[in-house]
This record gives sequence, structure tokens and C-alpha cells, in this order.
Amino acid sequence: MLNLETFKILQNYFQQLPIELKFVWVLSFILTVFAIIFTFYLKILRNSLRKKEALTIKYQKEYEDLLLSFLFEEIENNELSNKQNQFIKTIENEINNNFKRKIIVETLLKLKNEVSGEIETAIQDIYLKSNLKEHAYKQLKSKKWDKVANGIKEFTKFKVKEAYPEIKKLIKYPKKEVRKEVELYLVSLFHFEGLEFLNDLKISLSEWDQIELLEELQKLDNQEIPDITVWLNSKNESVVSFSLKLAKIYNKYETVETLLKLLNHKNQKIRLQVIDVLTHLQVFDAKDILKNSFKKRSQEEKIAIFKMFENICEPSDEDFIVENTTNSNFEIQYLAIKMLKEINEKAFNYLLKNQNKFYNKELLKFVQNN
Amino acid sequence: MNTTTLNTIIQIIHYLFFSYAFLAIFSYVVLSIISAFETVDYFKKNSFVNYKKILSSNIAPSISIIAPAYNESLNIVENVRSLLSNHYANYDVIIVNDGSKDNSLELLIKAYDLVKTNYLINPQLKTQPLRKGVFKSTNPAFEKLIVVDKENGGKADALNMGLNISNSKYVACIDVDCLLLEDALQKMVKPFLEITDKKVVATGGVIRIANNSIIKEGKLMEVNLPNKLIERAQILEYLRSFLLGRMAWSRLNGLLVISGAFGMFHKKIAIEIGGYDTSTVGEDMEIIVRMRRHLEEQKVNYKVAYIPDPLCWTEAPDNYKIFVSQRNRWTRGTIEVLRKHRKLAFNPNYRNLGILSYPYWLIFERLAPVVEVIGIIYFGILLALREVKWDYALAFFILAYLFTTLLSLGAIYSEELTYHQYKKKGTGFKLILISLLEPFVLHPFVLYAAVRGNLDYFFNKKKKWGEMTRKGMGNINK
Repeated sequence: MLNLETFKILQNYFQQLPIELKFVWVLSFILTVFAIIFTFYLKILRNSLRKKEALTIKYQKEYEDLLLSFLFEEIENNELSNKQNQFIKTIENEINNNFKRKIIVETLLKLKNEVSGEIETAIQDIYLKSNLKEHAYKQLKSKKWDKVANGIKEFTKFKVKEAYPEIKKLIKYPKKEVRKEVELYLVSLFHFEGLEFLNDLKISLSEWDQIELLEELQKLDNQEIPDITVWLNSKNESVVSFSLKLAKIYNKYETVETLLKLLNHKNQKIRLQVIDVLTHLQVFDAKDILKNSFKKRSQEEKIAIFKMFENICEPSDEDFIVENTTNSNFEIQYLAIKMLKEINEKAFNYLLKNQNKFYNKELLKFVQNN
Repeated sequence: MNTTTLNTIIQIIHYLFFSYAFLAIFSYVVLSIISAFETVDYFKKNSFVNYKKILSSNIAPSISIIAPAYNESLNIVENVRSLLSNHYANYDVIIVNDGSKDNSLELLIKAYDLVKTNYLINPQLKTQPLRKGVFKSTNPAFEKLIVVDKENGGKADALNMGLNISNSKYVACIDVDCLLLEDALQKMVKPFLEITDKKVVATGGVIRIANNSIIKEGKLMEVNLPNKLIERAQILEYLRSFLLGRMAWSRLNGLLVISGAFGMFHKKIAIEIGGYDTSTVGEDMEIIVRMRRHLEEQKVNYKVAYIPDPLCWTEAPDNYKIFVSQRNRWTRGTIEVLRKHRKLAFNPNYRNLGILSYPYWLIFERLAPVVEVIGIIYFGILLALREVKWDYALAFFILAYLFTTLLSLGAIYSEELTYHQYKKKGTGFKLILISLLEPFVLHPFVLYAAVRGNLDYFFNKKKKWGEMTRKGMGNINK
């Protein structure tokens, strides 16, 4: 142990040190204290993480068993209200604890996703009749964005339509994660009608969000999609991109006229997407427009056009195809030569015999052998 | 030279060393703080992400996994199986057998029912020619697999061949001996699809060390701490680098390196800039620096993103000889890249890249071992001249040691609060212990390897990759 005499020696030594050394020793002392605290706290942290993990598993099992026994008994005996109320009271006491409430919600959701019909409705009822719904409403009012998003997510999962007026107000929330949850709420609960938020959407809808929304829409029973022309003409390019995906997935032939106009959109990505949709819909009318504007288009668009022609080329396109058999772009040259072989083998054979420096020999050989 | 002048020179040298150390410590503290904020933010945001939707979506963008292989017969069949079991709808796996002298190709042909196919390769990037050709499987279960057998040209050349073969929008370049978790592609592709205000050109993933962990049929079953000090110390080093360093650089949009073991790129841009540089051993860093340089020159608003989730597990050297060889190569790679792109240094035309990332790498990564060696030599001279002020020397040594230890503890904390991979009882104590020992059991070898790397770079130009003997992922727990 440090006795008084040693302490005084150290104190005297410290006092006579130059200022920079004093600073270094003080800093070292602080770092040592931090290191000791960190070391002990790490032990506490690891224990608490382990304990939390074990508790989560324990509560999950507990709530799951409780819920399952209640649900199945309920159906057999048809004594809905009393037992339901009793069960709801039990969980109402638990949900004041944040940790337990989270597990209860997760358990309800897990089971809800695994069952259907009456049992699913019963789970839904538990959520609606317990205070869980009120907690989610409180979250919507929170100043923390993650709580707001969590509240919306809960309402989406439990299909709480009456939260619509509160949630709709959040469509322009500054944090994109919240906006995404709002969009998913609208589409999950109000289906294609929920897409109305696209009408005046000013912020960009990311590709990731678009995929999520489209996957949600494709799960619906009713696949009757409304008119998408307004969105195709939107000033928001992400809305145009999203509606082009809708046009492709839902084979919106009635939008062809708008699609052809969009071939001149100022954004190349949109133009490429339009060519892709036209290819998918096999719009023959687009061919002449694209052939006539071919030279003005970007390299990527030219490749996309040739990919389109690959599916719908006809002997009448031969001149256009032959013109591009010497295209400096590998992909275009390949597609042109391949199509030439398909529509006019004699012309292809002639080309083989009269190769010049503009042809890629490997490419010609490949087309010849395939 | 009189005594006063000499003393003044010595004072200046002391202040220079002190300033360098202070700046280095300050930068580590700042980076750690930024990392903490970024990690919290990432976790909050990630809790609202539903990866299942992208997993099953037909409109999810296509990805090619490109894995170069050279003499990997020990585990290639297992590793390919792991790559084929990724949970993503739209991807393929391109194995580039880079002139292996062993029977890797024969093993693959047998295991995956491969047959030679006619495959037209778009020669956008110049590479070594094909050897036996391109192979695909006759078994529909392995329809995602493409095996290319080519003449040896090195890792960069093999990756370029993969870029030529790929028909996907994005490419994930990985080391074939790495183990990818099933959700790796979904997570790595997310920044490309999610960020709308910037063009995401590459995403870097975290590399974790799998030594002593249990792996069965290409899947990570149990994460364990390895037994050897050198392996444990590397775990700590990786935690510091990935959880504290790169996370912060990602926030600053200043990432200069994406590990060659696992990174995803926008293929069109990778090809546009000429693919991987075959003349450097630091091809993973070089492609990112060149990509960023190109985009800065084009005035494109871009981002190199980073995913901190432990998605890729690899085997780390378990002996000092291989460790030194690996770090020697990393040093040479860094020197080559920084010299090649020296135009960027302190150049405001390249914004963050020129005035922040490049100078940081130059001063605190490239020059750190040089400064340290000069310091040691200087200390030796003072020792010989009996001019060492021991009270100063001791105080600064203790301070440096405490800071290093505290930084390591910070990394362990970050790991515990985020991914908590080392769950077994007693592991926490072992991690703390290694954070105390690492400055003695690993750092001297890191420094030695860096010195050797410098010497080899300047005086042994013929030296290329060096030795990396692997046990194979299935065997590293043995």
C-alpha cells in the first residue's frame, strides 16, 4: 500500500516536474482511471447482455405459450369476451415495461404471421383492445424519429386503419425512414389507393423504397391497378421511374402513348427504363421512332435498343441492322450480327466472307457456331 | 556546431515527434467519436429495414460474385458451395481459376457437373487469355455458377476477367477462401439502391477473423476466439480498424480502401476506369483511389459506402512468418498506390479526397512506421550518448501504451454493444488481456513488416505477393 511518506515523495517529485511532464502524468492518470472503469464495466455489460438475451427468450416463450393456450381454448369453447378480457388485462400490466412490451408486440406479430383466419383476427383484437395501440399512438407524437417510425410500423403490421389521419400528417417528415414507414402503411392498408401520396411527392423515392412498395403491392389479392398516366408524367423523376416499373409488372399496354413520349425524357435513366418497358410490352410502334433517333442517343440507349430489337426484329429492319454490324461497341456489333444471321443467313454468310478490320473475328466465329 | 545550437535542434526534434504523436492520437479520438455516432445511426436505421423483400424481389438488381482462385484445391468445393447459398434472388458466381497448378478445376468440374461452354467474352479489360475455357453446370441446382479457367496473371488480372464475364449491374469481388454470410449481398447492395442524393460507386464490407470458429458445409455455426496470441491480437486489430476507423471514414465519405476480401462495385464505373491495376500488389486500394479520382475529375457527386455488419469471415495468419509476409505486401501496396496517385496530395481540387483522406493515409498510415523507426533510432543514439531523459521517456511511453489500450477497449465496447459476436463466458476477459498485450505481441511485428515492406519496395522490385499458406476455412478450428 501507498504510505504517507511515499505519497509525499511522489507529490514532491510531481511538483518539481516541468509543466509538459505534469500534463503527461495527469493525462496518464485519467486514462488509467478510464481503462479500469472500462474493464469493470465491460464485465457488467457482457453479463447484462447475456441476462437480457436469456430474459428475452424466457419472456418470448412465456408470452407465446400464454397466447397460444388462450387462442386455441377460445376457438374450442367459443367463450370469446371473458377470456379475451382476462388475457388482455394480464398483458396490460406487463406492457408498461418497455422491454416486456417490445417482446409482447414481437410475439403477437410472430404468431400473426404464422396463422390466418379467426386466430389471426383474434390476435389483431388483442392488439386493438389492449393498451398497445395507445402506446403506438404515443410513439407517433415522440420527438425521436425512430420511435415515430416504430409506431407507424406497428400500425402497419396490425392493420390499424383508424390511425390514418395521424399517420398521413407524417408523409413529409424530414427523416426518410419515417417517410418510408408512412408509405408502407398507406400501401399495405389502402393498397393501390394508398399510392395517392405519389401525386404530390416532392422528395425522391429510392430504388430500395420502390422495391419494398412493389413487393407489398404484389402480395395483394386485388391486382387492379389504377391509371398511372399522372405518375408517368410526374415532375418527380423517381415517381416516373416507379410508375414505369408498375407499367412493366402490370403490363399496362394502355400507357404506350405516354411511354413513347417519355422516350424523349431529359433523364437518360428514365429513357433507358422506357426502352426496357417497351421491350417487355413488345411495342412494334416504337421501332421506327427508335431507329430514326438512334444516332442521337447515348451508347447505353443504343445497346438497350438493340436488346429490344433482339426480340422483335423483322426482315424490314435489315438495313438498320447491317449498318450496325460494324459498330465499334462490342455488344451492339454482336447483337446486330446475331440478328442478321437470324433474319438473313445469306447476308450473314456474305459478311463472313468479306470481313474487314471493323469486325471482331472472335465475335463472328461465336455467332457462326451458335 | 555549439552546444546551444545542438540543444535547439534536439528540442525541435522533440517537438516534432510530440506534435506527430499528438496529431495521431487526436485523429484516432476524433475518428472514434465519429464512428460511435455513425454506428448508433446505422443501427437505428437498420432496425427498420426489411431485407426479406429485396431477397425475393425479381426486380432486385443483378449481382455477380467474382472470386479469383489460385491453387485453392484444399477448400474450393466447400467455398463455392458457401457462395452459392447466398440469399438473394438475382445473382451469379464467377470463379476465375487463375492458372492454378493444382487440381482446383478438376475438383470443381466433378463436384458441380461442369461442362465447357461457348461463352462470348466482351474484352473490355485486357487480361491473360483463357486456358481451358469457360465452364457451366449441367445441373440446374448450380445454374448460378460460372467457372473460368485462364492463364495465370495475378489476382487483379483474374478480377478483370470476372468483370469481362459478368453481365450484372453490380459485382462483389471477394477472396474465394472467405466465408460470406447468407444475407451478405442484400446488405451490401442496399446503399446502391437507397442513397438518392449521391451516386454510390462501391460498398465495403467488414472482414472478421474465423480462426477457431466452427464452420460446417460453408456456414458459420459458432464464433470462437482463437487460441494463439497472434490470432487474438489480429481480431482486436480488425475490430479497431473496421468498427472505429472505417465507420468514421464512411461518415466523412473519405474511405480510401475497401478490403480486397469483400467489396461491391458498380460494374460500369469499374470498367470505365480500366478495372483493377495488375501492376500493384495493393489493387484493392488502388481501384478505389482511382475510382474516386476519376469521379472527382468528372465532378460527380458520389459516395463509397460501408456496411459494418460482420458479413465476411476469413482466415488470418496464425504464425509470424506469414503475418509478416502479408503485412509486407500491404505496406508495399500502400506505397505503390500513394505514389501512383501523388497528384491528389493536399490538392483542394479533389475536395475531401485531396485534403483529408489522402493526407491522412500518407501521414498516419504510410509514414507512421517510418516515423516510429526514426524515433527508435533516435532513442538509440540518445541512449548511446547517455542523453536520455528517463523521466520524459517513461512518462511518454506509459501515455502511449495507455492510449493504445484504451482505444482497443473502445473497439471491444463497440463490438459488444453492436454485434456481440464473442458470446462465450470468459471471452471478455481474454479480449481485455489481449488489449493489454497487443502492443508487445503484435505491434513489433507490424512495424518489422512495414520496414521490410519499405525496403522491399525500394530495393527488391521483383517481390510480388509473398507467401500465404492457408489451412482452409473448414480446418481452421483444428
